[in-house]
Amino acid sequence: MKFAFYYSVKNMKRKPLRSALLSALVLLIAFTVFSGAFVIISLQRGLEVYRARLGADIVVVPASATGHGSVDDILLQGITGNYYMSGDICEKVAATEGVEAVTKQFFLTSAKASCCSSRVQIIGFDPDTDFSIMPWIAESYSGTVQDGDVVVGAKIGVPESGRITFYGQEYTIAARLKETGTGLDSAVFANMNTVRKMAVNASSLLKTSPFQGVDIDTAASALLIKVADGYSIEQVTDDINIHITKVKATPAKSMISDISEGLTGTSALIGIIAAVIWAMAVIILVIVFALLSNERKKEFAVLRVMGASRKMLSRIMGTEAAVLGAIGAVIGIILSVLAVFPLSGSIRDMLKLPFFMPDLWVVLLLAAGAFLISVSASVLTALLSAKKITTNDTALLLREDT
Amino acid sequence: MKLKSKGITRSFFRKGRNTNFFYALQKTDFELQEGAVTEIVGRSGSGKTTFANILSGFLVPTEGSLYLDGVDLYALRDERRSILRNRHIGMVPQGQTGLQSLTVLENVLAPAMMYGDMKGREALALQYLEEMKISDLCDVYSNELSGGELRRMSIARALINSPEIIIADEPTGDLDDDTTALVLRLFRRLADKGCSVLIITHEQEAIHYADNIYRMENGILSEIK
Repeated sequence: MKFAFYYSVKNMKRKPLRSALLSALVLLIAFTVFSGAFVIISLQRGLEVYRARLGADIVVVPASATGHGSVDDILLQGITGNYYMSGDICEKVAATEGVEAVTKQFFLTSAKASCCSSRVQIIGFDPDTDFSIMPWIAESYSGTVQDGDVVVGAKIGVPESGRITFYGQEYTIAARLKETGTGLDSAVFANMNTVRKMAVNASSLLKTSPFQGVDIDTAASALLIKVADGYSIEQVTDDINIHITKVKATPAKSMISDISEGLTGTSALIGIIAAVIWAMAVIILVIVFALLSNERKKEFAVLRVMGASRKMLSRIMGTEAAVLGAIGAVIGIILSVLAVFPLSGSIRDMLKLPFFMPDLWVVLLLAAGAFLISVSASVLTALLSAKKITTNDTALLLREDT
Repeated sequence: MKLKSKGITRSFFRKGRNTNFFYALQKTDFELQEGAVTEIVGRSGSGKTTFANILSGFLVPTEGSLYLDGVDLYALRDERRSILRNRHIGMVPQGQTGLQSLTVLENVLAPAMMYGDMKGREALALQYLEEMKISDLCDVYSNELSGGELRRMSIARALINSPEIIIADEPTGDLDDDTTALVLRLFRRLADKGCSVLIITHEQEAIHYADNIYRMENGILSEIK
């Protein structure tokens, strides 16, 4: 073992180009495995967080809210929209048979003007009935969101003053929420009183008010519904869609399943691309090792003349592959981390799917897995080549070159 | 240490007019005399190198057995056979056989490093390199050596484990007259100390150092002295 290691190290040092090529191939394998798995896991985690955040069985929005600026857009991509249902529609929805609990949300888009710190989606919720946003706020903030307070998503920058301006009025930032990997990270939350006051200020400040014909005190942008036990979500959804006009009810799970389908497709595509790159790298590795073994036939024969066993030759090849593989794998994983972490925002925007980075222990586990897979691929292909060449009579290999 | 072959043959695949194989070595019984220099002479392609490789323990014969002190070498597993070869048989192969990643000194020490017996080996390696007149090249990588220097390095390498049996295939092929004489004197001295030395050669000069001479012709070995 000592000689095999000594000789392998000498070989790697004396053949830097050959060593660099092998390491680079393993680097590619490690990079592909780690990046691919990281993105897929982040997408799956994003879906879980999204599902937990939604917390409702049915989402009801005005019929006009479909398409650009819909709930999906707001939650997933942070694309903002202003649409409202009147108070009497909300009451009709709440009165539908099978509705156990209903909570209103009021959406307001801040203007990108001197009156506002930035253009964001402001979501008002009713603290008395809410079951969707308050449990999430509770993870980051133990207090109550008072009138005049706002809670901001993870992607909203908090100024040093701890205050933020919307429609000419300053609000205190009470808390910053945990990241969800969805558009909610770019939203600002406030209780209904605060948002309605913002809406009144907006009406007076904006040339074209989005609230024409809307009673701000009773209107809502979305209703989140929990269905009572014994009732089917689909049945309640159908009842609302059939009996109440100008609204569209959607089962939350179908919203999730739409995303889930998108995620499955995207994950599969990423998986296939990663597998193809991985397979190509492994095939190249096999070819390179086969060529190298061929080139090293005489060297192996000389070692055999000195008394090296076939096992020792395999050990030499295996050690070289393991050391170069380990170097390539570590660099590949580091490069992958350096590429994927800073680009996670861009990946989320590009894929338009919830994207939530895994915990540190999962990242470490992924790194260990990618390392093992890459080094194993390198060692196994090397041993395969070594076996092929050592099964021949090495004395004949020596004669081939002399 | 006794090295004895019994009924060994070796055939190779080669397309001929009527067959697809030929016998490089016909059925051969042979015993290498201890404490003597034995030479095998013969034309190119007569089977000398095949025979030397079989006797060195790294070319499996088609038939027959090779006994090292009564142990059937080719009946052993590869690892055990390799260790025995490493410890007891020093082989100088035909052609240039430097390991390019190692220096001259490391090349010479490599057989000793393989199975961990390094005690006193570096001094011995330097002594052999001195004797081969290449000690000043000990830190040079083997790909920088000339053919003659490589040959001398591989002779020193074959001797590093102080083997009881030395098999040298054309050991003086690339050497000038003075160095040829130097190498043959070294083999003679080792034989006088009890080593069994087998030299495969075309060198006329070598005859003067030999105790026994055999001729190989068409794979058939016959004693001529």
